[in-house]
Amino acid sequence: MNPQDLIGPFSPLGNPAPFWFITFFKVFGFILHMIPMNIWYAGMLLVAIFATFGRNHSLELAHRLSRSMPIIVAMGVNLGIVPLLFTQVGYYQFYYPAGILMAYAWFSVIVILIFAYYGVYVYSLSVKNNKHTKLALASAWISSIAFIFIGFLFANNFSLMANINDWIHIYNKTNVAGAALGTGLNTADPTLIPRWLMMFGLAITTTAVYIAFDAAFFKKRDTSPLTGSSTSDYKTWAGKFAFAFYTLGMVLFAVMGSWYIFGALEKSTFDQLSQNSFMYIIFGLTAVSPGLVWIAMLLQRKGVKRKVTIFAAILQFVVVTLNAVSRQWVQNLEIFRFKNISELPVNIQWSPMILFLLLFVIGLAVVGWMIAKIVAVEKSVA
Amino acid sequence: MHYPWWYVPSLTSPMLIAMIATIHVFVSLYAVGGGIVLAGEVSYAYKVNNKSLLDYLRSHTLFFILLTVVFGAITGVGIWWTISLSSPLATEALIHIFVFGWAMEYVFFVLEIVAAFIFHYYWGRLDPKVHKTIGWIYAVSAYISLVLITAITAFQLDIGNWTPDKGMWVAFFNPQTFPQIIARSGASLLLASLYIYLHAAFKLKDNAQLRALVENRTSKWAMAGAALVTVGGAWWYVNLPESAKAALAGASALNILTLLIFTASAVVFFMLYFGPYRNPGWLNPGFAILYFVIGIAATGTGEFIREGVRKPYIVYNYVTGNNVLISEIPKLQATGYLNGGTWTKAFMKAHYPQVFGTDGNIDGNKLLQLPASDQIKVGEVLFQYHCNDCHSTRGFSGVAELTRGWSKGMIHTVVTHLDKAHFFMPPWCGTEAEATVLTEYLQSRSEPVPEGMKFSNINSRENTLAEKVGRGEAEK
Ligand code: HEC
Repeated sequence: MNPQDLIGPFSPLGNPAPFWFITFFKVFGFILHMIPMNIWYAGMLLVAIFATFGRNHSLELAHRLSRSMPIIVAMGVNLGIVPLLFTQVGYYQFYYPAGILMAYAWFSVIVILIFAYYGVYVYSLSVKNNKHTKLALASAWISSIAFIFIGFLFANNFSLMANINDWIHIYNKTNVAGAALGTGLNTADPTLIPRWLMMFGLAITTTAVYIAFDAAFFKKRDTSPLTGSSTSDYKTWAGKFAFAFYTLGMVLFAVMGSWYIFGALEKSTFDQLSQNSFMYIIFGLTAVSPGLVWIAMLLQRKGVKRKVTIFAAILQFVVVTLNAVSRQWVQNLEIFRFKNISELPVNIQWSPMILFLLLFVIGLAVVGWMIAKIVAVEKSVA
Repeated sequence: MHYPWWYVPSLTSPMLIAMIATIHVFVSLYAVGGGIVLAGEVSYAYKVNNKSLLDYLRSHTLFFILLTVVFGAITGVGIWWTISLSSPLATEALIHIFVFGWAMEYVFFVLEIVAAFIFHYYWGRLDPKVHKTIGWIYAVSAYISLVLITAITAFQLDIGNWTPDKGMWVAFFNPQTFPQIIARSGASLLLASLYIYLHAAFKLKDNAQLRALVENRTSKWAMAGAALVTVGGAWWYVNLPESAKAALAGASALNILTLLIFTASAVVFFMLYFGPYRNPGWLNPGFAILYFVIGIAATGTGEFIREGVRKPYIVYNYVTGNNVLISEIPKLQATGYLNGGTWTKAFMKAHYPQVFGTDGNIDGNKLLQLPASDQIKVGEVLFQYHCNDCHSTRGFSGVAELTRGWSKGMIHTVVTHLDKAHFFMPPWCGTEAEATVLTEYLQSRSEPVPEGMKFSNINSRENTLAEKVGRGEAEK
């Protein structure tokens, strides 16, 4: 069987927006999704570890993280809708078959996510009500492991999408009279594990920046009932810990990133990368950009500083953005080798598109208004 | 057709959509109706400055968030997950038509989440006016998301004047949109009230006075909801395409259920009027649970009917139940179903290269030259891709049972006249040779006539009689 034979035809409806628009929103939406997702991905594991073994400040950190986790998960899940939507608009010929070949695993994401999400609430409410039960602790562990496993399943689907050569092998092994059984996974793909763990490294770095940011801006000036120590003690500790945690994430990211680029990526993709000087620069920046944030974190190792934290947060946003852009470029390269999906005729839906963009801006303004209201409340308290 | 088909033994994969969608609706309707009722009641409680009512509403909000933000949101995403696995071609089409509708929906989801959390976490800390406003931001966003998603499900049932060259708005304002929005708005208010009864019956067990107030006020929303369900439902029925009306008329079960829902809505209305509205104080956990179960059952049935009458389409007059674009059918009938499907063709090339002709297409004659056991195997491929959307072999709507005792000729006739046998099946989309191998497969699975029936004996005696006639012996 020829891998090409398994790619379905274009939709006769044409694309409702130019291909660049679809890709832009796919990438932009993914960046917005990645930030909260990173925080629960690495953050929930940290909560579980510190809730079990932590004392004083580290336990306080577990509690602080868990209190905001429900909101972070809610936002992150919803922000995931846009990248998934535009993946389906532009990349349907690849996204659907990959999902179907691993249908049970993909379907199970929903079930696992419900457990993971309620686990977050169980632990968070137990902290809020000061009732530290074994069940709450177990919930934190279940959630963290579930999130990491969901990450593995996502890495599977989104790598399988572009790993068209392997579709046949999976299909041949898992079909009943030509219909997919849905029991496949993309485990034969050498990029799978480095991809999965590279994202985990990135998640650690984003979480580290969040920890510093939280200590610098959200930590109220009072003595902690938990540790009996002052706010400034916590801020000092948080700066030190966030720096160490960032370093850990950066090392994991660098190791997995190197494995991915030099050890797992197909040679032809690698060659094309070295021939494209613009993308070569972007890749270089993607690789070194965490170093800049690391310096900003280094400056705070003796205690978080508001201005430096803001700087670190903005830079981390750039790190995440570069990552999303590089990923998209590789994905396009791998897919376009089989089919140039940007060639599909475009049938622009102007008025719905404009209304969406308008609502997007209005929505941002309304969110801004609501946040201004709570900031005012917080300020009047402080 | 363009995608691999996901085979789920016994159940069929589209049944997973039905399952997730139904449990999602129970919570998502509450997410909308509950938002409206909470915003309205909080406004009222501030106006009359009722501290204990506010406290109750606050505790209800936590319950509301735990259910809607988690379970409601994730099962909603879950529907998306499942339709992309079990109905990929229809999803592809819907996504291309409604992409910006969904994108707008996302804006309102984000607004909902932010508003819901602030509404809850900053309770008592915000200025009442701001707090109220945030409640209404939630309610309005949630309601708009109901409108957007309902237009899409309405479109599936009747595309109205839409054609592939027309944009989203023509699809959006189809004849089903407004009736379905009204019916669902009503259902959301009604269901939200039942959730409030349920919660209040337990939470306010020891506070009869407050419970009576909550009951009485909630019943107004509930009665408004019941009225809207009835009006929207009637309008929905009037606007149904003929095929859906016929499906309702033909399926006695669906018919009875529809009648039941109308009656139930009316009964609920009067029960609410004479119960909580006129005589508050009746609410106890038992009653609340009873009401709740009835509400859930009615909603579930309503959604089931809405989905059921859509057959043979997933998108009316555009995509059939077996994931084929209507526009592709003539070609499939001419050159073959296996040939037209991306994955079926690849599968045939890999396993039966000998059946391909010089033009690169499957040759019907060569197909029929395959050994009998291979013909059955190819028939099974056809079954998976043409029938498994709606039929399993032995489980849900199993063809082994449906064709019990049928002769080969009968099976062949039904296969080649699917839409004539039942208009809620799509037409046969393959060639004559393909129909023959599918018949071979079905026959190989078909159950025999149950043993010991007199009737089948008579039949066989008649056969003997006929044989005798044939031999000229009968007259003796
Ligand atoms: C869009 C959904 C759909 C598809 C696709 C579909 N059917 Fe059906 N079919 C139905 C429904 C619904 C019934 C009624 C089932 C019942 O009464 O339990 C039915 C009934 C039947 C019956 C029983 C007919 C009778 O009069 O008793 C047979 C046989 C049958 N289908 C065969 C097939 C075959 C073979 C295919 C594939 C070529 C197929 N169907 C495709 C929906 C479908």
